[in-house]
Amino acid sequence: MKLHELEKNARKEIEETATSEELEKVRIRYLGRKGKLTEILHSIGNLSKEEKPVVGRVANRLKIELDQLILIRKKNLEESRTLGLEDLSLPGRKPTIGNLHPLTILSEEIINIFISMGFSVVEGPEIETDYYNFTALNTPPEHPARDLHDTFYLKDGRLLRTHTSPVQIRIMEKHSPPLRIISPGRCYRVDTFDPSHSPTFMQIEGLWVDKDVSMADLFGTLKIFARKTFGGDTKVEFLPGYFPFTEPSAELWIQCPFCTGKGCSVCHQGNIEILGCGMVHPNVLKNMGYSEFLGFAFGMGVERIAMIKYNINDIRLFYQNDLQFLKQFNESKL
Amino acid sequence: MKVNYNWLSLWVDINLSPDDLANLLNHLGIEVENIELTSNDAIFTLDITPNRPDLLSIQGISREIAAKTDKNLKKVINYQIPEGARQDKEIELSVTIESVGDCARYVASLIDGIEIGPSPSFISERLEKCGIRSINNVIDITNYVLLEIGQPLHAFDYDRIGNKIIVRRAKNGETIVTLEEEEKVLSNLDLVIADNRKPIAIAGVIGGESSGITEKTKTIVLESAFFKPELIRKTSRRLKLSTESSYRFERKADIGILRTASLYALHLLLKYAKGKSVCSIIDTNTNPELTREVPFSFEKTNRLLGKRVEKEEVNAIFNKLGFRSNGDDTNPKIEIPSYRRDIEIEEDLTEEIGRFIGYDNIPSRFGYSNEHPIIKEERDILPIKRIMTSLGFSEAMNIPFIEPSWVKREGENPIELKNPMWSDKNILRVTLLPGLISNVKRNLNRGEESVALFEVGKVFTREREEEEMVAGILAGNMPINWYESQRPADFYNIKGTIEVLLKELNIGGYQFSECKDPFYITERALSLNLDKSTIGCFGLLCQDICKADIFGFEFNLHKLLSSPKEKIQYLRTYRFPPIKRDLSIVVDEKTPYDRVKNIINSIITHDVKIELIDVYKDPKIGNNKKSLTIRLELYHPAKTLTEEEIKKDMENVIKGLSKLGADLRK
Repeated sequence: MKLHELEKNARKEIEETATSEELEKVRIRYLGRKGKLTEILHSIGNLSKEEKPVVGRVANRLKIELDQLILIRKKNLEESRTLGLEDLSLPGRKPTIGNLHPLTILSEEIINIFISMGFSVVEGPEIETDYYNFTALNTPPEHPARDLHDTFYLKDGRLLRTHTSPVQIRIMEKHSPPLRIISPGRCYRVDTFDPSHSPTFMQIEGLWVDKDVSMADLFGTLKIFARKTFGGDTKVEFLPGYFPFTEPSAELWIQCPFCTGKGCSVCHQGNIEILGCGMVHPNVLKNMGYSEFLGFAFGMGVERIAMIKYNINDIRLFYQNDLQFLKQFNESKL
Repeated sequence: MKVNYNWLSLWVDINLSPDDLANLLNHLGIEVENIELTSNDAIFTLDITPNRPDLLSIQGISREIAAKTDKNLKKVINYQIPEGARQDKEIELSVTIESVGDCARYVASLIDGIEIGPSPSFISERLEKCGIRSINNVIDITNYVLLEIGQPLHAFDYDRIGNKIIVRRAKNGETIVTLEEEEKVLSNLDLVIADNRKPIAIAGVIGGESSGITEKTKTIVLESAFFKPELIRKTSRRLKLSTESSYRFERKADIGILRTASLYALHLLLKYAKGKSVCSIIDTNTNPELTREVPFSFEKTNRLLGKRVEKEEVNAIFNKLGFRSNGDDTNPKIEIPSYRRDIEIEEDLTEEIGRFIGYDNIPSRFGYSNEHPIIKEERDILPIKRIMTSLGFSEAMNIPFIEPSWVKREGENPIELKNPMWSDKNILRVTLLPGLISNVKRNLNRGEESVALFEVGKVFTREREEEEMVAGILAGNMPINWYESQRPADFYNIKGTIEVLLKELNIGGYQFSECKDPFYITERALSLNLDKSTIGCFGLLCQDICKADIFGFEFNLHKLLSSPKEKIQYLRTYRFPPIKRDLSIVVDEKTPYDRVKNIINSIITHDVKIELIDVYKDPKIGNNKKSLTIRLELYHPAKTLTEEEIKKDMENVIKGLSKLGADLRK
């Protein structure tokens, strides 16, 4: 009789709970260590021989039933928490997606532009010898142009490449022209780590060697690159430059996108240098073993282009990996 | 280098605004970094490329402006030897070049009656506009000549040195106190100017304190020399001493201008430093090679530029630059003046033509053809990166210099930097984890709740050189939302990431085994093995690395990508829905789920999908026990199986599992 009443009350109370917290309280009230049903189960031992099996069976069955009821109610409560809310402005259940690094996104974009122009992508080691990094590229020891590349040396006498040009030499040792390659990769130069300098950076270099390839081809190729990267109406200009491994040498400048050519703190009188390029120096062609060919080469820092393109004012952001920064870049947005 | 508009105007008629002049210079490859406008002048900061030492003077810049604007220079520096001066007499002064290859020419002049005092204002003002501090008339005049025509000069106090000037290599360990009052220890790799007793200057770099000009100086020896560029560069770099002189000498000064520079300085000293008479002028090489011939080919130039240039046009450009064309018409030899040391080969001449016709006038062309072979290099990094981002990880890039304390693995030796950027981070990374761990700290400190990052990059060891790795890191809570309660990231998050990564890369047949990598806590980490070789580990990173729980992984990218891929083969799909059975068993908590799963797999005779849907521990099911609920989905290609048909399988499963000590829960 007592059990019957207990069952009735418990069922009612479970039914009336509105939250999981309330439900938990009801569960403790009946099934907890000192719960009403628990106490009955504990006291079965004191009952008479006749009562014992009957009450025992009923109480045990009731416990299982209540357990199940509470479980079902719990599920219902959890579902109803959101069911019927019908606030369609609640944010959806979103899987978390990460972002590619902006330098990866931009590198891929640039690489694909050159792939579409028939270039192959090649890579090489980051630890280099003096020969491949400098001497083979017409920059023998004590050449003043070495000042342009302040170099990290290793204790074993080798160095961290200061540009990806050594890859070009290595490829030319294995393959013969005609050849159209780009070599992306990490490079190193001794530099302070401040808003405009970093001891490491990503570079993409290109090389086109053939029987007859000229500055006109160089300018045409790089204009396509610049317009695809910065937009079709970008003003592009080539100015004379100097690199020991090219002759004649040039620099590609675009109109500063920040001030649109009026002149600002970012640019030089309204223009920004994007990359260096030129006709491969005859000494380099000789070192590659292809004196009878002509070629052009170019090289650009990906950070620099990213900073111009995405309006980033501090190069260190690329290497500090703040999620607040990284989460701003996704491929379709750029 | 700084030059000012007004001084340039003395040399060439400019007729351009400062902005237009800057534009003209930029188009000549003389990069104008900055223009500073003053009330009546404009000061340009120029970035002169290392191949053009001739541009490191007012005269040099003026030459380019004149050539580009079709004008003649208004000024010619050409002073005669003052009356009464003796030439090449070794009475008061002698010059001996012991180290002949190091000094191709040395011009020394002796002038007396000097009175040290301030410079006339036109000299001190021009110096200061060009960024050189005015000191006294003698020093200023040497600097003035340097700035105006590019030849470094040095003045010694005759009374403080002997009457012998010796150009020689320093003895090892020999010392000199410089004008900056610093003692420098020299070696026989350094060239010095010495008197009888000791060095009085580091040649081409800086003078010695003991021989320098003082307020009492009356007689000076003026040095105008040409030193071997490589030597000056080495000394300047080794002593970390870069001066206006060394900067020009190491880029190769103009051997032809030494005498002109001396005579110009003497003229100024007589006029503005009360110099009385020039006693003698010594020149060790009165007949230096002043010009050089470089072959030129119209055909090669046309090929290089991709444009046909006309002979008249080319000759006009050469003329303006002071180059003289000799020999035949198609392949002439071009005579180059001594100040254009950068013109060595015909390609250099091609660049001059390009510069002066203007790169704007070279056409743009893109001839696309497919005859170029595609060089196939494996480049499968992007798919991995994309999988990682789809799993919630953002890509990081770190500077690969780390502290040696990160070298923890046995038999792994780091590659050390000779000139590290930061003295404590003096090795190349042997693992990507340190960078990622520091990124986690930084992000948690900035209030991020949840950090998931990955990086693809190279690690370096002496044993294995360069290896490309992929590593990831997960820390903090899982992202918070309104439909799930928040919980911290755990081992199974990183394990799930790895499992999906492997699946998406189509890599099968891998095993997980005990992780012995010192970066991980053995009990909470596993290693990934493919083809019996370990390609990396994943799990909980050691607590001493960071306060928060950080889960990480790092795999050798090459081994990962070169592992045999499972061939993609279409497998039949099932038209009929499966019969589903949930199996709840209680096993010893130490029994791995893998064993349970393998047993079920080996027993079931139908096609089956096995999914673990619940795991828990509860004293109610016994201490040291755990409950597993496993969902079996049994398929048949031609029908939905019936209870009857799977009965046998299910009985066998329960029998099989009971051998594991598993109890079936109902």
